Amino acid sequence: MEERGFRWMGFALALVWFVLSLFPLYFVLVTAFKPPLAVSRGPTYLPFIDFQPTLQAFRDAFLGLRGDFWGPIVSSVVVSVSATILAVLLGSMAAYALVRFEFRIRLASGLLFAVIAIGGFLLLHDLWGMRVPFALGLVLVVALLASVLVNRLPLPGPVLGNNDVTFWFVSQRIFPPIVSAFALFLLYTEINRLGLQLTDSYLGLVLAYTAFGLPFSVWLMRDFLATVPLEVEEAALVDDVGRFRIFFQIVLPMALPGLIATSMIVLAFIWNEFLFALLLTSGDWQTLPILLAGQQSSRGDEWWAISVATLISIAPMVVVATVLGRMMRSGLLSGSIK
Amino acid sequence: MWTTSVITVLSVVFQYVLGFALALALHHNVPGSSLYRVTFLLPMFLAPVGVALIARMIFHPYLGPMNDLMGAIGIGNLPFLTEPNLAMAALISVEVWQWTPFVTLLMLAGLQSLPQEVFEAARVDNIGAWRRFWDITFPMLLPISVAVVFIRLVEGFKVIDTVFVMTGGGPGTSTETLTLYAYNEGFKKFNIGMTSALSFTFLVVVILFGTLYLALAQRLTRRYA
Repeated sequence: MEERGFRWMGFALALVWFVLSLFPLYFVLVTAFKPPLAVSRGPTYLPFIDFQPTLQAFRDAFLGLRGDFWGPIVSSVVVSVSATILAVLLGSMAAYALVRFEFRIRLASGLLFAVIAIGGFLLLHDLWGMRVPFALGLVLVVALLASVLVNRLPLPGPVLGNNDVTFWFVSQRIFPPIVSAFALFLLYTEINRLGLQLTDSYLGLVLAYTAFGLPFSVWLMRDFLATVPLEVEEAALVDDVGRFRIFFQIVLPMALPGLIATSMIVLAFIWNEFLFALLLTSGDWQTLPILLAGQQSSRGDEWWAISVATLISIAPMVVVATVLGRMMRSGLLSGSIK
Repeated sequence: MWTTSVITVLSVVFQYVLGFALALALHHNVPGSSLYRVTFLLPMFLAPVGVALIARMIFHPYLGPMNDLMGAIGIGNLPFLTEPNLAMAALISVEVWQWTPFVTLLMLAGLQSLPQEVFEAARVDNIGAWRRFWDITFPMLLPISVAVVFIRLVEGFKVIDTVFVMTGGGPGTSTETLTLYAYNEGFKKFNIGMTSALSFTFLVVVILFGTLYLALAQRLTRRYA
């Protein structure tokens, strides 16, 4: 008896939530087809009964009557696709290394890196007056070399293993993005002054988003790659196949479903990202979220037009969510998310 | 600071309770659950900016369905986005709407990884569903719950896009979150130093808070385990 009661409650809850999650989307879809008059007369829900659907809003948007619309779409697609490819490629390489090789990093050498990097930067920039990008680049290279060398020495102090390295990657997600976004903005404007345009440019955005997507791809790909059996690789190693060929021709194809899932998640995050785009773009490379946020102020609230823009920006993600939902149902993701 | 904490904590509480309940419902295969799985995922993948715009439309004083509903139950028009408390409530509900799926997804994965034997044993011993949940399911899922809540809290602290679009921090500054405040200082008032200082303080606060939370959570899980 009690069992049944809980089942009913669960079913009712699921049903209510189902309606709640779909209703707003339905409303946007409907609004996009409304003529302006139908919108301003108050909320209406059923096409053909409450109002006559029209494609006017879509036509306006794509013919550019409400400002450049194709620009943001193109830049969104180009930037998010290239950043996703880069992030997933680099991320799965890093994840592969984390799964197959054992790293031992001494905390002391990590600290040395921080000391040389920060101290050296202050020295070069503030005392010798070196330009920020040069000082930063020089200092990072020197600090990296020094800490790699020092890592070989038997230093006292704790030794960090692979799990700590992974946590280091994931921890990048913990701190608020305004911290890095703002620092990045300052650095980009510094580099701009040297003549290399990074703010509001393809290169700058892709770089920022690759860094933004890396934590996810390392984290997820690590779980997926851990399930790839070792024996095949060992066989290939015996046959004297190079590591790169093993990675690209054996490991990656075997982890293909995971690779697809990871790419989609990373793509979704980059596609939706707002803060970096807000800070780093101003005109040429504005992405869709920025266009959306700008919609409301430019000409008052023209809800039919806003609905069209919103629909365009969420349509690819609906596809992504559907595909991922199917993968989840087949039990593919349940193992990896744990 | 206060605003951010209120929004974050309240919305995470709702997300967790709702998300867990939904995960339980899905786990026990209520009718139509395969359809729900896809739809429940959906809000999570939509651009927060888009979601916020939709929410603005839904909460619109006289064009939105929300006030249509309010009128139908006889409450009348409520100024959802221009009255401080209501604006907070609207923001929180949007956050809950968008991120409950995340909790559901992870809790479902957690539920599916639990060993079945324990539940069968409990069933044989004729232990009620309510007690089964509190004495078995909940403690066993505590580690993953801790992780999920942590992720949501941290993410919640960073919220800017929803607020930026829905209320712009208003009315007044009643819904201005930390990130939005830092952004406004730097890019509207060109107070770069202030923004740097703010974001750095922010970082320290998040790190402190995270360490505290994780330490507390560890004690809690240990007591149960």
